[in-house]
Amino acid sequence: MSPSARWSLLAVPAALLLGFIYLWPSLGLFRTAFNETSATGAMIEALSLKVWRELMADSFTYELTLNSLWLSVTATVIALCIAYPISLFLFRTESRFRGLLAVMAIMPMLVSGVVRIFGWLTILGDQGMVNSAARWLGLISTPMHLLFNWTGVTIGLAESILPYMILALLAGFGRLDRALEEASRSLGAPPWRTFLRVTLPLSLPAIVLAAGLGFVLSMSAYITPKLLGGGRVFVLATEIFEHATTNANWPMASAMALYTLALMLGFLALANVLSRRLAQ
Amino acid sequence: MAYLELGGLAKRYRDAVAVADVTLAVEKGESVALLGPSGCGKTTTLRMLAGLIVPDSGRINVNGADITDVPAHKRNMGYVFQSYALFPHMNVEKNVAFGLEERGVAANERKERVATALDKVRLNELAHRRPRELSGGQQQRVALARALVIRPSVLLLDESLSNLDAKLRQTMRREIRDLQRSLAITTLFVTHDQVEALAMCDRIAVMNRGRIEQVGTPADVYERPATRFVASFVGSVNVLPADRDASGGLIVWGAPIPGAKSFASGDTDVFVRPQRMRLVAPSEPVAPETPHLKGKVEQNIFIGDQVETIVSGPGGQVTVQSLSGGAMPCAGAEVKVVWKPEDTLVFPREAS
Amino acid sequence: MTGAGRALSLVATLSYALIMAPIVVVVVMAFSADSFILFPPSGFSLRWFKTLVSNAPLMKALALSAQIALVVTVLSLAVGVPAALALEKGEFRGRDGLRGFFLAPLLLPTLIIGLALLLFFTPLKLTATLPGIALGHMTVTVPFVIRMMSTAFSTLPDNVEAAAATLGAPPWRVVWRITLPLAAPGVIACSALSFLLSFDETVISLFVSGPRASTLPVEMVRYVEGRTDPMIAALSVLLIAGTLAIVIIVERLVGVSRAVGQS
Repeated sequence: MSPSARWSLLAVPAALLLGFIYLWPSLGLFRTAFNETSATGAMIEALSLKVWRELMADSFTYELTLNSLWLSVTATVIALCIAYPISLFLFRTESRFRGLLAVMAIMPMLVSGVVRIFGWLTILGDQGMVNSAARWLGLISTPMHLLFNWTGVTIGLAESILPYMILALLAGFGRLDRALEEASRSLGAPPWRTFLRVTLPLSLPAIVLAAGLGFVLSMSAYITPKLLGGGRVFVLATEIFEHATTNANWPMASAMALYTLALMLGFLALANVLSRRLAQ
Repeated sequence: MAYLELGGLAKRYRDAVAVADVTLAVEKGESVALLGPSGCGKTTTLRMLAGLIVPDSGRINVNGADITDVPAHKRNMGYVFQSYALFPHMNVEKNVAFGLEERGVAANERKERVATALDKVRLNELAHRRPRELSGGQQQRVALARALVIRPSVLLLDESLSNLDAKLRQTMRREIRDLQRSLAITTLFVTHDQVEALAMCDRIAVMNRGRIEQVGTPADVYERPATRFVASFVGSVNVLPADRDASGGLIVWGAPIPGAKSFASGDTDVFVRPQRMRLVAPSEPVAPETPHLKGKVEQNIFIGDQVETIVSGPGGQVTVQSLSGGAMPCAGAEVKVVWKPEDTLVFPREAS
Repeated sequence: MTGAGRALSLVATLSYALIMAPIVVVVVMAFSADSFILFPPSGFSLRWFKTLVSNAPLMKALALSAQIALVVTVLSLAVGVPAALALEKGEFRGRDGLRGFFLAPLLLPTLIIGLALLLFFTPLKLTATLPGIALGHMTVTVPFVIRMMSTAFSTLPDNVEAAAATLGAPPWRVVWRITLPLAAPGVIACSALSFLLSFDETVISLFVSGPRASTLPVEMVRYVEGRTDPMIAALSVLLIAGTLAIVIIVERLVGVSRAVGQS
């Protein structure tokens, strides 16, 4: 083996490990979706589409699909509206705290999901921050129910995907030539027009990719819908977990997981195509 | 057999040829410059010599031994990089000692040799500084000391003066040349700066598009360039398109050029260096064997030590360079441009 | 007008407020004197910290999570750093494919990975065991280490490794004396982030944990599902403080904000 190829041997442990804990189980997951469950609940090795037929025939599946799609889209849009200004700010600012501000923006990523969910339980709860403030301001007399429903879940989810989208947007902005903005301003365009005519169009590819990322993260999110939904919010992710653990119906869980994966890939492909179109 | 021999070295990347065919023989203790524009393959050649790049074909011999397949760390060549490549996490002393440590040299001998090396480049007070605390010139000297302390068979310098400012470059040129001579170390250095090349070498190899177009002493290459590329790359030159006359002679700007013969086929260009041309009054008599052109002075450009005069004529323009301080014909004046017949260079015209 | 401008800065500030809100709120609630979630708290006390310390399942899970995170970090580095070296310094057919294979787990949602591991580990009796959970976390940390270290190795100063080679260092000594020391900041940042990744890993843990072995995030989820009192806030404050401490230490040693800016 040539000396430069000998380096590849260093990668063998990682390859073996990842093959064992990632590749093989993934193939197993794929395979399990074609097994069957007996009447007693045990799994039967088979190569059947029974579980798929069950999945597709169930109207609940479509309800779940719509729920997941709608939740993901809403959360992504909200997160985008918040992430874009922050990312733009970080890109443009010349403050010497820029590094610190960048870290602060993605700090939620470093804090475990449960912690943030507890934060939202406190903020959105019937006796939480929002309700207390609204009552104190005299806006309401009975508490708004912002938790254990779609509202709470959407807000919590939007906030949890925010740091990832900020990073994605920043990466996209990094490719923006700041000189273009300056050129526009020097030609007399006021800031908001510079934004509309130069910045926004040029950053569209980055926006689309960030949106794609946000969508995928939302579709596969489990803890936020489970905890902030209080058992009343049903999405594909929560049902996959149910089938896998409580019902121990592994074939169904696997099939649903592959189904969700297919939805995400489809959406990503769309985002990719769109982004490339816009980049031209 | 020469001390260092490169035979038919070639390297290509994807669709681009970096080095097409490089053959060169270097004597022991000789300093050879690889001169050429960026992209001509000179750095690739140097890196192949050092073992940092594997050639697609060709052989390299040092002192009779074929080292083509020997890995870089066994070649015992000192390499000075353009960016100096000093180890940022070690101080000057440790940087210079690195090669000696790798060779298992004992601690006290190491200390001694490092001190001597730093002495030679006058950096001993800075022995404990880190590279980032040094100026560009100082970093370069550390890189040099580091490469020399291991007593390499060949010293390789890769554009190592490019990052220095003009005055420093002049000083370092002389220093390196003196060091190279006093150590009698075989040196190959790469540069795109012809003044640097001519000043520091015993012989110069002019490269273009992956090939060596000419190897020779600085005088050879300047006075008797082998190709039109060498003629225009080394020193400055006027290119005058010429027409063929009935007997195979050449006509420029309507006037015959005595002593110049055209090529059997194709068109010919006449090359004359601006420094070899002289301005004389149009009325002054000119010997029949002296090439001359008649024209009008467009402008004189004063550049300190020299004056450049642009003279235009029926066929185009020429630049004549004279020492400043003398009387110059003013703009608009008619003038005759003369030069010695042995300074006429001819080359076939190339489609551009 | 260069820089961010006033309108943008205002909007950005509001957005920052939104990002920090849950964390700030949690910190406040940790010191609440109430027995349920009430904001603002009617009074302040340290009672929940005391309750926390005496909550055996949570403390046990905390210890286990720390243990696992440590093991995961060490193993991920042991496996990931050589792999990154192979990718950056080696030239062999299939290198790009191998890189893709190594980084692929980062693209797959932890929900899917967790499910796949549950299916795979159960017959192997690896569920609810320390090795099982550790392996589960490594699906995420090993690709992460490989990616970060690949970047670290590829952004070393130009030619220093070539210089070491010309000076007589064989390839493995170049790695030992030049590559690794210069990439040390990357290794440090990598270890810290790897530790945090494993410690906070929730979804995969939910799939492969069990009564015999349960990580802290899993126990926290169970607690929040069952009860709504500020205890989790007290725990969270400790976790946030710990995370901040690690980040600050790494920042001092290395400069995480630079690393973030580059990713």
